[in-house]
Amino acid sequence: MPVAIRAEHLRKVYPHSPAGVAALEDLSLEVPTGRVYGLIGRNGAGKTTFVRVCATQLTLSGGTVSVLGHDLEREERAIRARIACIPQESRPLYFLTVEEVVYLYLKMRGIDRTEARRRTRDALEELSLTEYRRRMVSRLSGGLRRRTLCAMVLASDADLLFLDEPTTGLDPIARRQVWEAIRRTSREHRTIVLTTHYLDEAESLSARLALIERGRLVLEGTPADLRARVRYPYRVTIQGAFPRAELESYGRVAEIEGGLLLFTREAEAREVARKALERNVRLSMGPVSLEDIFLEVVGRSIEEETPREEAEA
Amino acid sequence: MNPRHRLRSLFTLVLLNGVIPIRTQPLFLVNLLASPLSFLFFITIVSNGTYLPYGVTGGMILTMLSVGTTLQSDLTHYRHDLKFQDIVVASPVEAPVYVAGMALSELVYSLPVLAVFVVIFAIEGYVTLLSVVVIAGTLVLVWAFASALAFTLATYFQDVRETFLFSPLISLFLTVLPPVYYPIKALPMWAQFVARFSPTTYAAGLVQGAVGLAPLSFGLAVLDWGVLAGFTVALFLLAGLKARWKEP
Repeated sequence: MPVAIRAEHLRKVYPHSPAGVAALEDLSLEVPTGRVYGLIGRNGAGKTTFVRVCATQLTLSGGTVSVLGHDLEREERAIRARIACIPQESRPLYFLTVEEVVYLYLKMRGIDRTEARRRTRDALEELSLTEYRRRMVSRLSGGLRRRTLCAMVLASDADLLFLDEPTTGLDPIARRQVWEAIRRTSREHRTIVLTTHYLDEAESLSARLALIERGRLVLEGTPADLRARVRYPYRVTIQGAFPRAELESYGRVAEIEGGLLLFTREAEAREVARKALERNVRLSMGPVSLEDIFLEVVGRSIEEETPREEAEA
Repeated sequence: MNPRHRLRSLFTLVLLNGVIPIRTQPLFLVNLLASPLSFLFFITIVSNGTYLPYGVTGGMILTMLSVGTTLQSDLTHYRHDLKFQDIVVASPVEAPVYVAGMALSELVYSLPVLAVFVVIFAIEGYVTLLSVVVIAGTLVLVWAFASALAFTLATYFQDVRETFLFSPLISLFLTVLPPVYYPIKALPMWAQFVARFSPTTYAAGLVQGAVGLAPLSFGLAVLDWGVLAGFTVALFLLAGLKARWKEP
């Protein structure tokens, strides 16, 4: 499969980083062309740094990156001609109307007037912004402003789009409209790199996902791959009397409202289900969600770092 | 980007940061009028009208420098608060096109101020073909070096409030202290020597000479143009070396 981004042994240390801590460390991954590629991780894990490096906004400290077949260090201009980006926490210029934000961005990219008008109209319609098109950004809610930025970038002619938390602050309906626009863009064989804290969004949109933790790649693959690679790929919810100590021999147990949650392997899940049936205890089971995977992997990482920090203290 | 696309980007930036904000908030135009007209009023009253031409020539130079300080604030605001520069970096728009477009957009705000000064000069009988050419050329150079300085400084500011600290200082050291609003001969010799370190001294010499307020021989004009152009090139080189399009 053709590759849109190939990053090898990426390293990034910010100039004023305390003790030279790397924001990205030995990070290697490949983003396939024409798909949505999700980046997930805790705050400060390195997702935005990765996006900013690949979007040519940030210099690299080490490693190599090729974007759309061009070397990041030597061929920035060729890369910039084919990319577009919504940075995290970006806002549209407050004195423009919604229509002007999209239209002028397209004109700035060199698109001619007729084409820019057509693309603007289509993008506003797709994200249900037509009724706000003449409204100034300063009079919009935070969610509408974010949606305007999504329309702006999705309307572009870029082959590779970087969307850094594009749906933050959107209501569930608006989020789904943006999802649909992202899916439509992906069907046009354009590549989208998406960072998000909404794991349902990452799972729903991404063909492949990367979980980054403390600047390193922890897990990478399709959502199914990720499930297969965690220690406990099944979650069992037990509502009723079941001894916790007995469950702990099958995997990791957590208390939830009205019962217990067990993360375990498939064979053990079946065993627990059989015992629960014998005891007439209500139970439901299924594969772990992306959120479960995230909590397990990141939780393990936090546990590993805590004793070290305590020792240092 | 081919040249046609570059031009399209450039004019879009002028529209986006120059024309549209004025349409939205016409008071932006009055804002730039305030300082130069205040100085003009004060100087004219105090000197019984004798220094009115100095108030006009000084006002023109101050207006061009204000374009630079406003640019510095806009660039900082767009970079840090709106992340607009990041959006532009990750697009086909090249850094020189962005800088030129933003600098030109700021020039739009100065046009009404300059129009007021031109009208005053026309009424006072100072407008000749030569004076128009010299003044226009000088103001273009002042605008260019002020923009280059603005882009360099904006690179280092982390918050728009920092630009508020620098703007009055730039105004003080480049327009109030140097002989922009008065003839250089009004200064003692040592101060005349110090004033030669400011590019606006040469700009004022040219503009004051062009309207007959100070002697301006051909040789002196060439020297003033040369030094002013040298300052401008130096500031552009500094901007090229120090200004950052992408973050380190």
